[in-house]
Amino acid sequence: MTRPGQLPDSLPESLVEFDRATDGGGEPPPSAALLPSGLRDVLPPEAETEARAIETMMGIFAAHGYDRVKPPLLEFEDSLFGGSGAAVAGQAFRLMDPDTHRMMGLRPDMTPQVARIAATRLRRAPRPLRLAYAGPCVLLHGATLDPERQVSQAGIELIGIDDPRADAEIVAVAAEALDALNVPRVSFDLTLPRLAAVMIEQAELGLDQRRRLLHALDRKDAAIVAREGGPLAGVLGDLLLSAGPVPRALAMLMAAPLAGEARRLAERLEASVQAIRARLPLATLTLDPVDFRGWQYHTGVSVTVYAGREQVGRGGQYVGGADEPACGLTLRPEALLRAAPARPARPRVWVPASAIGQAEALRAQGFVTIAGFDSGAACSDAPGDDIAEAARLGCTHILRDGQAWPM
Amino acid sequence: MTRHPVPGAEGLVFALPKGRILKECAPILAGAGIHPDPDCLDESSRRLRFGTSDASVDVIRVRSFDVATFVAFGAAQIGICGADVLMEFDYPELYAPLDLGIGACRVSVAAPEGVDLGDPSRWSDIRVASKYPNIARRHFAARGIHAEIVHLNGAMELAPGLGLSRLIVDLVQTGSTLRANGLREVETIADVTSRLIVNRTALKTRPEAVGAWIARFRAAIARRAEARAA
Repeated sequence: MTRPGQLPDSLPESLVEFDRATDGGGEPPPSAALLPSGLRDVLPPEAETEARAIETMMGIFAAHGYDRVKPPLLEFEDSLFGGSGAAVAGQAFRLMDPDTHRMMGLRPDMTPQVARIAATRLRRAPRPLRLAYAGPCVLLHGATLDPERQVSQAGIELIGIDDPRADAEIVAVAAEALDALNVPRVSFDLTLPRLAAVMIEQAELGLDQRRRLLHALDRKDAAIVAREGGPLAGVLGDLLLSAGPVPRALAMLMAAPLAGEARRLAERLEASVQAIRARLPLATLTLDPVDFRGWQYHTGVSVTVYAGREQVGRGGQYVGGADEPACGLTLRPEALLRAAPARPARPRVWVPASAIGQAEALRAQGFVTIAGFDSGAACSDAPGDDIAEAARLGCTHILRDGQAWPM
Repeated sequence: MTRHPVPGAEGLVFALPKGRILKECAPILAGAGIHPDPDCLDESSRRLRFGTSDASVDVIRVRSFDVATFVAFGAAQIGICGADVLMEFDYPELYAPLDLGIGACRVSVAAPEGVDLGDPSRWSDIRVASKYPNIARRHFAARGIHAEIVHLNGAMELAPGLGLSRLIVDLVQTGSTLRANGLREVETIADVTSRLIVNRTALKTRPEAVGAWIARFRAAIARRAEARAA
């Protein structure tokens, strides 16, 4: 008699084996190497390259007076998603704190955390406050083109000042950091994320039309903007096609019939462009006045940083905690390392166990030292074996007679 | 994610759709100054990538749905595809800055002739065969109906007659295929024309080159409209 789930006694042994191997005919067991989508192990040499790149950038941020802070990975969702953080709430993993039974969020972005620090623990620190940070963030969903769900950030925030020269400072500091990493073909795309919304608000369009129009603007679908734009169809159509190099795009924006808040945003952008140009006369600047892609907390002039085809960073003006004006820029180390040329690897020298005392001097000369072991089959004192062993461990040099010889 | 460098990344790749729209594209391409190798517009050619009169521009010929994918991922910087494809995929990386006014048709709901479907406002769910699962799902969801989609790549018209679905959502040009298969168009979801599409990052990072092509196509469309009016 066989109970459900139990194999009958008479089942042939081969079939029992088969049944075990296939877990009762279901899915094969998952590979231990399989990670959830958008997550990856960073291996040598990329892991070290990334760490060094982040330290290079943080060094430049520090030299410009940006003091480093380190917010936690997790915090209560009310504080993580308060203020400017509301815009990132949809991208956060949440879990319950077993102590307080309150919900915590895993940060998808660090800027709202830094804004919180500035408004709370550093509220008495003198303004303008310059803060820098670096660390991993986790997103609920990857994008179609960028499936990563864990992304590193390294950035700066300039808090307590609303000035075109502040916008220029964050762009200039980011440019210097990219330059230090030899990131090629850098361009800055300036946008006014609130301009389209302000214009649509001023035109008092219906809610449904507003939604369709904003979606069409985001996709630069000129046909739908023309159909849904109502009184704005002409001007939004022109602005949509004005995207491009700054001189022409800015001239088109300033010539557009803008009123009130929309005009004020455009004038501020013009002032920021002049301030950026003054600090970075040779930078490639583009302008897309009706683009509002990205975290939705940016309120004024915003900037997206490109290196070739990679989007390597994003920043702009926002309203910090306690309604303080602020601006900042966050770079994405993974993306900019894809754009940057590979750094030459450091020379690796194999040091036999008998000569380990000389390794420190070699390290002082810039070598990576790989210590040999005398025990084990692969090692012996025969010189031929030393070379084989050094080669097996990927060394570029071998220590012999007190000197590092190239392999 | 590891990405591979594209050889000749400074050139432009232009993606064109096979089939229905390809022939209609030819005069607009010529108007904009792109003259692909002669066998590009010949459907019987087995080549997929073609040179043009401009050494920095190559043309690839792929399925209409794939035009959107190639351009969205930046494998091609510019392309031509129907608005139906853009509605279905809604790739955030695609810009559609120009309506080319060719390839006019519509995405419609069709039902078997002579079959009483009852009152749609009482439906909770409906089974629909379509090559546009997202468009179909969104369309019915907006009416409070859960659409269970049977995703087919062709011959949708067979589905209702063979009991695969009650309705279909498909591209309709004249309606003759529907009629020939005992179906009638019951609702238009959207009117569709072909669009010039560009990759968002390409427009942001190579605005001169990409912008110049958009301007040339705009001028070509305007000239066609004038010639028609005259």
